[in-house]
Parts: sequence; structure tokens; C-alpha cells
Amino acid sequence: MTAIPQEQTGGQMFMAGLKRTRNTMSLLNPRFMFGLVLLGFLLFFGIFGPFIFNKTDPMKFVGMLYDPPSATAWLGTDNFGRDVFTQLMFGIRTSLMIGIIAGTVATLIGVLIGTVAGYTGGMVEEVLMALTNIVITIPSIVILILLSIAFKTRSLLVMGIIIGVTTWPWTARAVRAQTSSLRTREHVDVARLSGTPTLGLIFWEIIPYMLSYIVMAFVLQLNSGILQEAALSMLGLGIDKGISLGIMLQWALLWESVRTGAWWAFIPPTLLLTLIAFSLLLLQSSIDEIFNPRLRRS
Amino acid sequence: MNTRRFRRSWTFVLLGLVLIALTVAPLGAQDALPRNETLYVGGFQWGPPSTFNPLTSGVAWPNALNNYIYEALFGFNVATGALDPILAKDLSFTDDTTAVITLQDGTKWQDGTPLTPDDVVYTYELAKTHEDLQYVVFWDYVNSMTATGDRTVEVKLNPDRLNPGIVKFYLGRQMILPKHIWQAREGGDTSLSQVVDMEPLGSGPYKLLDYSIERVALERDDSYWGIPVFGTPAPKYIVHPIFNSNDEGNLALQRGELDVSQQFAPQIWQMWENNSLPVGTWYKEEPYYVPGNIPLLHINIHKPGLDNVLVRRALAYSINYPQIAATAMSRYSAPAQSSLILPTGGEAKFFNADQVAELGWEYNPDKAKEILETELGATKGSDGIYVLPDGTRLGPYTAMATFGWTDWLTAIEIMAQNATEAGIEVNTEFPEFPVINARRNNGDFDMLIWTHSGASPSSPWQRFRDALDDRGVPAFGEQAFWNWGRFSHPDVPALLDQAAATTDEATQKELFSQLDKIFLENIPEIPLMYRPLEFYEYNETYWTGFPNESNPVAPPQQQQAGVELLYIIKPK
Repeated sequence: MTAIPQEQTGGQMFMAGLKRTRNTMSLLNPRFMFGLVLLGFLLFFGIFGPFIFNKTDPMKFVGMLYDPPSATAWLGTDNFGRDVFTQLMFGIRTSLMIGIIAGTVATLIGVLIGTVAGYTGGMVEEVLMALTNIVITIPSIVILILLSIAFKTRSLLVMGIIIGVTTWPWTARAVRAQTSSLRTREHVDVARLSGTPTLGLIFWEIIPYMLSYIVMAFVLQLNSGILQEAALSMLGLGIDKGISLGIMLQWALLWESVRTGAWWAFIPPTLLLTLIAFSLLLLQSSIDEIFNPRLRRS
Repeated sequence: MNTRRFRRSWTFVLLGLVLIALTVAPLGAQDALPRNETLYVGGFQWGPPSTFNPLTSGVAWPNALNNYIYEALFGFNVATGALDPILAKDLSFTDDTTAVITLQDGTKWQDGTPLTPDDVVYTYELAKTHEDLQYVVFWDYVNSMTATGDRTVEVKLNPDRLNPGIVKFYLGRQMILPKHIWQAREGGDTSLSQVVDMEPLGSGPYKLLDYSIERVALERDDSYWGIPVFGTPAPKYIVHPIFNSNDEGNLALQRGELDVSQQFAPQIWQMWENNSLPVGTWYKEEPYYVPGNIPLLHINIHKPGLDNVLVRRALAYSINYPQIAATAMSRYSAPAQSSLILPTGGEAKFFNADQVAELGWEYNPDKAKEILETELGATKGSDGIYVLPDGTRLGPYTAMATFGWTDWLTAIEIMAQNATEAGIEVNTEFPEFPVINARRNNGDFDMLIWTHSGASPSSPWQRFRDALDDRGVPAFGEQAFWNWGRFSHPDVPALLDQAAATTDEATQKELFSQLDKIFLENIPEIPLMYRPLEFYEYNETYWTGFPNESNPVAPPQQQQAGVELLYIIKPK
């Protein structure tokens, strides 16, 4: 009996793909690099800023209600009399942490449901896709609000999970479509014939082939997680301890910083949220170009 | 040719649509009222009106406490602390338990029927037989109310619970109802407080003109009985636009779309200092508003650590009252003094400044440290938190404020941070209103911010009762309606009863001072800041002559005695 010729494993495929695209990356440099540097800068500001500037307590009162920028408070104070600059650094941390948790949760659920539905087909697919479609039709902000109210305490982790469990359906749909086409490939058949169990098949033969897509989905989910957190916080449903960019905006709104001309209370957090979203979208679209040659510009 | 015909018919269709839009659309909109005859007010109505029944607790503006459509006998004046005449011109006590109310001459309802003492007695007696009415408590303090003449009503007070202050409180608040209309509503299936009344008929200077999701509008009744007594109110129309949020209302005030407003508007002084707008408040300088209430830190004095009065005293010294006044109250409050009596307005005559200076406290972290270390012998742990000699660690305690009540949230955040810096660990929690309300009543808290009753004809008595009286207060775990920290002191009940019964100001001051002394020595609560009874700000773009500190012809309010404002202002 001759051995069935073994195709490359998914992991090898991915690495090979990466090798192939390494040259292309240099072509994409400006956009990719700009996104990466911008995100890196924001991360650096959030993680190391407090130590560099020796501003380690975002809750400390340094002035009065909406003091304008000064030598002690470089970006003025908020409605409590706390330093806006310090809050920005800690706000980035919180927003990114929640984004990462939400993105991870949403991607995991989406990939699991999408691959299982796409690979198994039949009744399981119908049920899982029906569930996905139901969740898609309910506006996620409504579920988010209800879930946020239901929890007695809203820690960083809880917030991340709440956002994650409401934003997975789009990933699930797209992953299912990809899986449906991948499952008819020969290497999948070969693996199935050699007795690999279903989950193993999905994990080793399906997922690696769309890892590029999953990475992009994660970046998008990370982005939407950060924005969802800001939306919830602005409604007053953010984390109950600590500071995030959304919470800063919430207080700025409640204390009418726009009417009273305290621009430092609402422009910096808005700008940072925009920059984070912008850098993530730049990264996502450049990664998309790397993995999808058809999108490359000449 | 065909194309041209098509074009022509298309033009006709378009013209037709425009015509329809022009004729039909205004039917849905309300009349624009002449600006120089209309006073725009804000701050009382936050959704479309559902009823104008003044017996309903969520009644639409103006029928809660604005004497525009319905009128009360008297109006409480927040500036003087007195009851100003409205339907009644005089209240006199013939002896300790008998009060006589004299009605104004010529009082009548808006349908022309005379308003008689019978209507007054009828209105108050409704609460005898209808337990759903809010003023049912009135009859705990009153034995009878009788029409004794064409213009007089005699009120016999309950000698067992003698409390003229509370009786005055209800006389200055309850809208008088027309008996000939409300009698018919009594027998129905619907309880009186649930009756939906969209065509209110009162005795006041204004009638309801229209209402919608966008506004409630009133029109002056030029046959008002009070014209010979008070004159004619200046605005022909009063409109309350309905906004979704505070900031919308404040922007409208800034733009001159509101003439007078009852809203918390942070940094109001910017409107005239930076933007040179004709906007004003009662005082031109801090605190801008007349204080009318005291948000206090309620302490559960039965928790280990907090049960020690010296710990509470150290906590009181650790709180940065000026910071709270400047940020949480946007400089609309003087730093809170250590007293249950308001130091300004109608209660100022009872405020014992010497006693407060001698026994009270102020922001002084060094003093807090001294009490903790020297007087208590507490030792500071490596985490910065003190431990009492018996091993009790001071914290972590939880301080609560209601979610969304921004000024209180801000105050409690500052308090918690101050206390923790001083070595008493306090964390914050912001539950929703129903949660904090239940936990407050059950005594399920370490600390929380809440007020007692504000300035009224029965203050500060009611505030002392709310803070110190343990009578009628059930044990922890059951619903209490006052004294949530379950404070108890043997001298309080007798002092409260004496203070309630007397009408002599000097005796009252002495008794309130003794009660305040008990408060200062035991510290069951800590005043955090002052708040006005009503926020009061005006924009003189269209109307001038609004009362303020230098023109104190009417009080800084729209409700109760605030109706006087309408007779003073003039169109520009």
C-alpha cells in the first residue's frame, strides 16, 4: 500500500505565505509602517508615559473645575480638577485592554461558530447560522446596554467580555463562507480519510488557511471593541473603577465642556480615539493587501 | 413635444407637493407666540406631559408647585423663609392649637364660580378619605379644618403632636381644587391621584393654551380674580419648552431662547464674564445661588471603626470641603459648615456660629492625623491605612452615590479620596437609584450621600427630625424613611417635640442649638455642600427686571412664592 502523499500542513502554508509576501511588504511600507508607528507611539505613550512624565495617578486632584492648560496640568484639568494629560495615558491603557479582550472574545466565538457551521454543514450549520442571523438583527448596542446594567460591577474584564459576546456574528458569517469553500479542498479530504477527527481537521486543515483573514478580523474587532467601549462609557455604562477615553468623554459631556469652552476636556480623548481607530484601520487594510494580491496597487 | 409635456406635468406635480407641504405642515406645528409677550422658562418638565392633575406625584409643569394654573393658599419664599400670600392673605394663631386662615377678597375659579372656604376645606379633607394623596400626613398634625365664615377657615392643631411648622409646610404647598369639579371625580373607579386631567381648571392667572412633546404653553387669564390685588402679570404667554437634557436647556438659556431657567449649568459666570451675555443669577459673585438644602454624608455608625465618634471626627476633618464646593458644585456652594442648619436664608436666624466654631470641624488633614494618632492611638499600616489599638482596620468602607447624579458622584469621589489619603480607606460605588434607595432605607451601607428636607416653613426642624430622631425608625434590614444610619440619643425626642410645639423664635433657636450640639458631638452625618432649593438663572435679552440680590423684589425661584416674578419683569 502506497502512502498517501502528505500535503503541507496549514502552519507550513501560512509560513510559506508569509515568506512569499515578505517582499511585497516592502512595497506596502508607507501605509503599513505609518499605521504601525502610530499605534506603537500610542502604546508607548499609554504604557511608559506615566513613568516618563512621573504622572502615575490619574485620579489625583491637581486643580479645580476645568482649569485651563498650565505648567502643572499640561492639558488642563477635568471637572474633578484631575490632570487630563495623565488621564489620557491611563485612558489609552484601559481602552486598549478592553479592545483586546473584546476582540479576542469576539474572534474566538466567531471563528468557532463559523468553522463548525461551515465544516459540518447540514442541520448544525442551519442552527448556528440562524443563531448568528438572529444576533445580527438585534442592534448590538441594545444588548450591550442591557448586559452592562445587569452586571453589578463592571470591571475591565467584564466590559471586554460583554462587548465581545455581542460583536462576533460578522466574523462567524465570513468564516463560515471561507470554511465552506475550504472543506472541499483535497488536503482536507486527505486528512479526513486518514482519520483526523473533526475538531482536529478544523484546527489544523481549515483555520491555518484563513489565518490571514482571522488576523484581519481580530484587528477590526479590536477597533470596534475600543469604539464600543467609548460608546458605552459615554452613556455612563463604562468600567466602574478607573479611567478610559470613553469615561473622560462622558464627564466632559455631563459637565458641558463644549458650552463652557473647556476644549481640553473633550478634544484630546476624541483625537486619541480617532488616532487609535485610524492606525488600526491602516494596519488592517495593509495586512489585507499583503494577503490578498488582487488588492495590491501597481 | 412629449418630453416637454412630461416636463410640464412633472413641474405641476412638484408644485402641488410644495403647496400641500406648505398648507398641511403648519397644522401640526404650534402657533409661534409673539416673543415680546412670551416668557420662556425651563428646568421643570423633561418629557411630554401625561397629566395636569395636581394630586399626581409626576404632574406636568406648572401644576406641581408653580402657582400659575392652580394656586395654593400661600407660597413659601426661599429668600425670607416666610409664607407669602396667594389665595389667602393672612394666617394667624389665636392660641397654640388654633390657626385662622383668611382668604383674599373676590377669589374665583377660571370658570367664574366663586372660590370659597368650602373649596379649601374640601381640598384638605380629601386626604382624610383618600390615602393615595401625598398630603395625608397633614391630618397627623391637624384635628379639624372648618369654614367659619365667608372668608375664613379655622384649623385646629392636634395637641398631642403639636407642630405648627409642618402645618404651615402643607398650607404653603397644597394646590386648592374646585369642589364643583373634583366632587364628581371622587366616586369613580380611578383613585384621585390617578385621574388623568388634561384640561385643568384652577384659580390662577394662567390657563393651559396647548401642550405637546415639544412644549407646554400657558395663556394669561385676563379675568383673573387677583388682578386688583397683585396687578396683571407681565407675560401674556408662558412657554416651557421640553428639552432632552440639561445641556440643551443651558444652551437655550445662553442663546436667549429661555428667559428664566431652573437648571444646573456648570460655570454659569462664563456667560456674562466671557461671553458678555445679559445672563444673571441671584448673586453676581459666588455662590451665585441661594442655598436651600444640604447634601450630607450619611454614616452607618454601627460599623466597626465607624462606631467610634473620634474616627468620624477624623473623617470630618479629612474632607476637602472647598474642593467639593469648587468642583462638584461648580462654585455654587460655600464650603459646607458643620451644622444641620443652613447658615443663610430663612434659617440663618437659627444658625449658632459660635457653637459651630467651638465644636465643629473644617478641612484640616493635620488635625485628622492628630485625632487618629494621639487621641485614638491608632497606628498607620504600611499601606497607609490606620489600625485602631483593638485591631480594627479603618476600612475598606464603601461610599455610595446615585448613578448619574453628577454633582453627588463628584462629591463622593473627592470625599473617598480625601479619606483614603488621611488613612481611612474608602472606596466608591455608584448604584442605580432603586438600588441605592432600598439599601439606604434598610441601612445596608457604610456611607452614602443624600439630603434631608430642604428649606421650608418647617425647616430646620424637619432636618433635625430626619437626622436624629429614632422614633418610628425600624431596625437594620427594615425600611426606614429617615435616620438611615439608626442614630439614637436619649435627649433628642424631647428636644424635637419642644422645638416643634413652640412658635417663639428665641426658644426655637435655643432648642435647635441644643439639637445641633448633639449633632456636632456625635457626628452621625457630615454636611458636604449646599445646594439651592431651585436653581435660578435668567437671560435679559427679551425681558428685564428679574429679581436678584440688588433687586430683591421677589425670591430666586419660579415655584411657590416665585409667581411674584411675573409681576415684576418687563418686556424689553
